[in-house]
Amino acid sequence: MAKEPDGALVHLTVSEPLPLEVPAGNSVAVTVSASCPNRRDRAGMAIIVTAPDGQATTYALAADADSVGEAAVIALEAPPRIGEHVFRLTLPAHEIAGTRYREAVLDVPVRVTPQATSLAVWDVPSPVVADTRFVIKAGAKSAANATLARCAIEVCDEAGEVAGRGVLSDAPLPGTGALYWTDIPLQAPPTEGVATWTARFEASELDLPHDGAQTSFSAAVVRPPEHVLSVKVIEQATAAPIPDVELRLGAYRGTTGASGLAEIALPKGRYELRVWKVGFEAPPRPVEVGADAFVEIEALVVPEEDPDARWRM
Amino acid sequence: MSKPTRTSGKAEVNRRNFLARGAAAGVGAVAIAGTGTQEAAAQNGSVKWDYVADVVVIGAGVAGLPAAITARDNGASVIVVDENFDIGGRGILSGGRVQVGGGHALQQKLGIHDTPDMLFNDWVRFDHSESRYSDRDLIRVFADENVATYDFLIENGVEFIEKPIRSPDASTVDRIFVTKEWHIPSQVYAPRRGRNGSGLVRRMEESARKKGVQIFLKHKMTSIVREKHNAGRVLGIITIAGSNPVNIQARKGVIIASGGHTGNVNFRRIFDPRLTEEYQQACSPYVHQGADGELAAMDIGASLWSTANQTADEAAQITKTRHIGCRWGYSSLVYEPDSPMFQQARATGLTVRDWQNMIFVNQNGKRFWDETDGSHGFFHAAMAYNGDKTKLNGGGPIWAIFDADAVTREKWKPEPPHVDRDGYFFSADTIPELAASIKNPYQKAAISGATLQETVNRYNGFVASGADADFKKPTPLYKIERPPFYAAWTTPILHDTLTGIRTNTDSQVIDIRGEIIPGLYCAGESQGGFAQHGLTRCIVFGRVAGRHAARRQVAETSGSR
Repeated sequence: MAKEPDGALVHLTVSEPLPLEVPAGNSVAVTVSASCPNRRDRAGMAIIVTAPDGQATTYALAADADSVGEAAVIALEAPPRIGEHVFRLTLPAHEIAGTRYREAVLDVPVRVTPQATSLAVWDVPSPVVADTRFVIKAGAKSAANATLARCAIEVCDEAGEVAGRGVLSDAPLPGTGALYWTDIPLQAPPTEGVATWTARFEASELDLPHDGAQTSFSAAVVRPPEHVLSVKVIEQATAAPIPDVELRLGAYRGTTGASGLAEIALPKGRYELRVWKVGFEAPPRPVEVGADAFVEIEALVVPEEDPDARWRM
Repeated sequence: MSKPTRTSGKAEVNRRNFLARGAAAGVGAVAIAGTGTQEAAAQNGSVKWDYVADVVVIGAGVAGLPAAITARDNGASVIVVDENFDIGGRGILSGGRVQVGGGHALQQKLGIHDTPDMLFNDWVRFDHSESRYSDRDLIRVFADENVATYDFLIENGVEFIEKPIRSPDASTVDRIFVTKEWHIPSQVYAPRRGRNGSGLVRRMEESARKKGVQIFLKHKMTSIVREKHNAGRVLGIITIAGSNPVNIQARKGVIIASGGHTGNVNFRRIFDPRLTEEYQQACSPYVHQGADGELAAMDIGASLWSTANQTADEAAQITKTRHIGCRWGYSSLVYEPDSPMFQQARATGLTVRDWQNMIFVNQNGKRFWDETDGSHGFFHAAMAYNGDKTKLNGGGPIWAIFDADAVTREKWKPEPPHVDRDGYFFSADTIPELAASIKNPYQKAAISGATLQETVNRYNGFVASGADADFKKPTPLYKIERPPFYAAWTTPILHDTLTGIRTNTDSQVIDIRGEIIPGLYCAGESQGGFAQHGLTRCIVFGRVAGRHAARRQVAETSGSR
């Protein structure tokens, strides 16, 4: 081996393609390997990792079956600032079996990205009567589980106008990890149809950089009800009432009670009444509503699918 | 009645032919390229047999056990090998529904009029998917052997519930009778879940052992030894027990009853190239239908048969999952936490009552079909090409997406032991985070959070309007909106093997030129010719094979049949 005036070279390599892309505040594990052409054993030697803020951490090299030389798994914690940052890995100069090796340095560029946020919107009533007020719930979540308390969610209508706003709770929604939530009152548009709103979360107020998020939600907007349609669902063979049957007439909905009866308020018009309950079947029924009305549906009992009967014609 | 024996030392067989074939050794060496050294040894006459019996049966399941008993009843010594640690195959996990008729004693007792001809006529119906592609020669034997098969089961201790059940199969009279579940829960593997097939196979096991059948568990058959690669009679089998080769000579016959090919990805793709690795197999992880019998038989020239049954878009080769959030959510099978198999199964799954409670998305996070449908149209859509340029066949994983309200409606507990959080069930506070959380060996790329969010939002719009504009789901009922949100594995699961090795009506295996392979038999799911779901075809042809093999007169010449 040719003598290097300042000592022999040692190569440092990392397991991941560079630059690393890491959300702000996240930690990423990287394997760094040290090797030289004559394969010296450097197990136990120190690798010094100097973070962008100058703080140094030391890791010990160990034998690594996956690489030519020795390796250490190091944790790089992305600083809470968006942009390019550099971690410096240093293997100090050392001597093995009479050969002096110069200091080896590898700069690891890290591109720090904002953390993600995302939204959920629930308890959206549907249908809603045109030009009436209603309330939804909306929540925001940080991928880093950062607290989003007191941040705001805005809701815009289809024209992009702000239609409502809510300030997030101090504590996450029970049953979730870190979903901060709020009630947001809204006004239904004056025209019938399926209306869509957009919920937006701006993350600019957070200490840890976050991207904002948005999602959409919709509700059927309907005319004010004029009549009550009473629907009773009974078993075809026995005339016994069937509870918990889901009823739908387009956007209008109802569920039968213990007596098999449901009352659905809706305006005049022609509808198709559909019923759904596992274990029962009934065809859709055309219904014309011009006054309060009563409809009886006979449903056929369909035995639960036999799990060992594989298929039918 | 002779008994199977362990050979003293390692007896060399067929030495007499060694010199005669020597001149052709060069040709033979080419012909057997690709087969193992044991097969090569067999073909040059130097296999050292560890055991010898008249009849050797591969597989201790619903076909293998009656084959073994019947061979023994006909005076043969019998060895049964099975790769598993216990007997039963898929039969031990079945519902125990035996499709048996023809006018047997129980039918008579219950006033059910049936005859072999009626049975035959039903199972060759052109207007039913289970019977349309049947091999009618086999059905004739099947029909004529049904009553004797019922009697056989009774004689060997099998007990039936004395009430037939109706099933939408090809039968026009009641013929499905359910066996009684085995009485020792730890020997059932899925106790308390209606696995009455345990009573069928355990009773036959009990009888077989009493009659002197030797059952070698954890012996995996790796090849069938024939005098020449594609000629001559079958001599025995090569097995591996742990890491030790164990060679078993069959003086009269080898019966393949290894249970089908569904678990062998390469083999099943012969019939449908879409059936790539993500599709799991019913009755796993207890059994693995690895196509061992088919491959070994085809290695020595056997033909496949009646493949239309496997490829027609009508049968039970693939099914919808019933229990989601676990890897093996096959229809009626649940491994409870006290099952000996639970450690491998890892979860019971969440049993779905109403498919309205969720949407299904493909590996891209997009809906693809009406979730309430379970037809072959659904399976085609699930397996459709969806833009993955690295995987043109197969459709990738299918995920059920639902919310906290669905959990309430279904009364689920979305936590272990009901769900497998190691790759088959995920939860998150928002839909985008749910998408990011999905990590599974078969999910090659992450699902885009934006795409899944768009999918859910669009579906919620359909719920609001009352109509599914994309896939015509009848009356989409429930929005997916209340956190937390869930993703559960619901990829279709493979079920019956419906094609296999060609046999004649004596269950003798036929080669690709239409000739009998002397000394080789096949029964059960590895046998081609039927699409009948259930157990009886396996039992009938197991009996047929065992009887013929035991009675076979083996001449010293290789042409013996």
